[in-house]
Amino acid sequence: MRKICTIGAIAILFAACRPSVNITTPPTAGRAKFTNYLAIGDNYTGGFMNGTLTVSGQLYSFPNLLFGQMNMVPPPYGANGPFVQPLLNSDNGYPGPKLILGYTSNSCTPTTMYLAPMSLKNFVPDPIDAKPFVSASNNGQINNIGVMPIRVCDYPVLSWGLAAVANGYPYANRFYKNPAGTPLEELNYRVNNLYPTFITVEMGMNDVLLYALNGGQGDGTGNALPVALNIYNPNDITPTAVFDTNYDKIINAATITGASGALLNVPDITALPYFHAVPINGLILDRQGQADTLAAFWKDQAWTKVFQPGSNYFIIKDHHNNTRQAIKGELILMTCPMDSISCAGWGSTTPIPDNYVLTTDEIQFIQSAVTAYNSFIYFESVRHKLAYVDINTYFQNLSTGITFNGITYNTQFVSDGAFSLDGIHPTQRGYALYANEVIKTINAYYGSTVLPIDVNKYKGIEFP
Amino acid sequence: MKKHLLAAVILLSAITTFGAGYQINMQGIRQLAMGGTGTGWVWDAATIYYNPGGLARLKSIQGYASMGLIMPSTAFGNQMSSATTQRQTFTPFNFYVGGPIMQDSKFALGLGVYTMAGIGLKWDDQWIGRYIIQSISLKAVGIQPTFSYRCSDFISVGAGFVYAVGTLDMRQSLPVHGQYGPGGSTDDDGSAHLHGNANGVGFNLGIHLKPTDNLQIGLTYRSQVNMSISGGSAAFSVPASLSTQFPNTTFDSQLPLPQVASVGIGFRPSDRLTLQLDLNYTGWNSFDSLRINFTDHTSGLQNNHAPRHYRNTLTPRIGANYKVSKVISFMAGGCYDPTPVTNGYVSPDLPDADRVVLTCGITIRPLPRFTIIAAFEGTTSVKRNATYTYGGFDGTYKTEAATPALALYYNF
Repeated sequence: MRKICTIGAIAILFAACRPSVNITTPPTAGRAKFTNYLAIGDNYTGGFMNGTLTVSGQLYSFPNLLFGQMNMVPPPYGANGPFVQPLLNSDNGYPGPKLILGYTSNSCTPTTMYLAPMSLKNFVPDPIDAKPFVSASNNGQINNIGVMPIRVCDYPVLSWGLAAVANGYPYANRFYKNPAGTPLEELNYRVNNLYPTFITVEMGMNDVLLYALNGGQGDGTGNALPVALNIYNPNDITPTAVFDTNYDKIINAATITGASGALLNVPDITALPYFHAVPINGLILDRQGQADTLAAFWKDQAWTKVFQPGSNYFIIKDHHNNTRQAIKGELILMTCPMDSISCAGWGSTTPIPDNYVLTTDEIQFIQSAVTAYNSFIYFESVRHKLAYVDINTYFQNLSTGITFNGITYNTQFVSDGAFSLDGIHPTQRGYALYANEVIKTINAYYGSTVLPIDVNKYKGIEFP
Repeated sequence: MKKHLLAAVILLSAITTFGAGYQINMQGIRQLAMGGTGTGWVWDAATIYYNPGGLARLKSIQGYASMGLIMPSTAFGNQMSSATTQRQTFTPFNFYVGGPIMQDSKFALGLGVYTMAGIGLKWDDQWIGRYIIQSISLKAVGIQPTFSYRCSDFISVGAGFVYAVGTLDMRQSLPVHGQYGPGGSTDDDGSAHLHGNANGVGFNLGIHLKPTDNLQIGLTYRSQVNMSISGGSAAFSVPASLSTQFPNTTFDSQLPLPQVASVGIGFRPSDRLTLQLDLNYTGWNSFDSLRINFTDHTSGLQNNHAPRHYRNTLTPRIGANYKVSKVISFMAGGCYDPTPVTNGYVSPDLPDADRVVLTCGITIRPLPRFTIIAAFEGTTSVKRNATYTYGGFDGTYKTEAATPALALYYNF
């Protein structure tokens, strides 16, 4: 009997031996008040992904992920639901199809298939998405007014939402209270409607990005004049003074209720995979003979040229309409047709057109504008006592690699895991990582303890 | 008395037999019961492992067999998630045969087959650290032919050649999802499975001193055994479009079983009581990184050198044996086993923390030539809040287990 007891006792001891570690620090708001959260911003705030807007992109927009974490903070200062976003019905893309990875080939080598982003085939727009979005919650509450491709300088533009439709951006028109008004009026309306206690403002990226996406077609120097009243050429860089005036208006409007919050600065967008998917030295020569042929082809040109077996800098046209060989640090846009490079001699015997190239001076225009914008955003954060999220530094860190729970995220096109197939907008994981950066800064500034997101729970790039 | 033992067993149950790092310290069951001491005092044929110099002190040839059960469990938690490893049972075993080649001979020969390392962790496939490790198992058995010579009553020496064989097996998730997997979950992640056989050689030297009948001293040195794996299999499961990026291939790796220098003293203040003290200095710093070198490389598949930078450790051990009668003895002991793993390098594949070890056991000799030993060892590691910089992985770990062990030996 005693033996049985002993054996039984030992068995129970084994069974009881399962440790557990639960970190149950309850999240707290610190000095912040997350109660009513309003997200103001552009593409990233709206949850754009894979070249378009999809419901799965919206659900992983960084403000929606951030809300999820702030919502775990108990009352009275935890974020209250619902967090209303103007959600679509379709996950295929609005208004155009999303990008997916698929096999393609070049016209000159049709049998060599390679993996590349391509538009979803057989796309049919969802008729429900074409209708205006009306929020069913409290007085038409909407918590996320991020739209593509809004710039800071667009805020005082009348009928901006309507005009954007004509350019293929129907997003604002879908949910703006009055699309014939200005974005600033929309912001005022949302502030009065929601009475936010917490805001995030993620603005300014498009003030340089649109210029870059056109290969630097505008003036670029930051001295652009309005093309009409308050309207600035979207292919140009917003002048700093215009940026400052309008950014100040946005923050004044957003904080009129005394909201706490965070201002996200502008990343150096030239680090995006979009500008690195096609390497500037992507002219690959297999043999010395090819190098000699090219050297002979361009022998009458005065500019410096180097052709040798291996990687060579592409031949480009700069925005002064000069043909030359590109130099280190210059960038080719992802949209540059691979077919033309592989089959039509682009970059070797034909210069790559200027609208697919960012040259050294264009990159400098972008970077100086970003620096100028960010110093004003910082100034505003101090003046309005708001957290300043250094997204620019975060992007720099990301370009050298950020390791999170065993995965190293970076800005390598497709293999990076952080950026979707358009090379500009994050994946679900990329947005979660971005949201963690915002959380880290909010916690540091407000003494709050909002929990970080388990980034790897979400999806990166999907492969066939 | 028996009741008390049971009480002791219960107290010790929240406990393990892992040594710090990935070593196992279960090569002798009486030594185990005495806090892992055994360099100084010669008890049985397990001295082939603990101090080969003591083998020539045995009175006759002895056959020795033992087995233990290790049922470890490690818990992890951070602000995002918590997890506990699945239950696994490890059965380190030892066989020894050896002693003086003839009655009263000064020469002794022996052979030991013992478990040097044998650990494993199996996390849930979907756990938060899956991109670092899902499961790992590391096993090594040493085979040691041994020679010992008793120069005089005062001094005897011994040496053994160590040939070790083992296996390494690891699984982890790869951060590549398929397009056609179940949406919204991570079930369709890619995965990697590495499996390889390892072997290595080393030696074991010992000097045993016996100034008086009641005082014994041992000095030993076990060399490092580099367990090298060559041509292990590396199998990947990835979406079809990435199969050329992750070709099934082979890999080479190396894992050191560290060198250990020990000094031990055994002292018998009375006929019934023996006290032992051991110090082990373990050369963990040779475990600089966990290197996996693949035979084939692609832009997706590169060699992986995870830095470990282990540090050397000094482990003090104490133990006592109390002889109740000719038939029954009790043992107890303990040690403080500092972790070789420095902060910043605490990975969920080999999580580790400082351990306080408590042990106890009983020896029963039903026949004059036949002995049975039962022991419990337990380790309580404090909760360790640690980071693994290389993997960007932070959290708190705690390891627990209960470990019984049993040995039988017969003197011919």
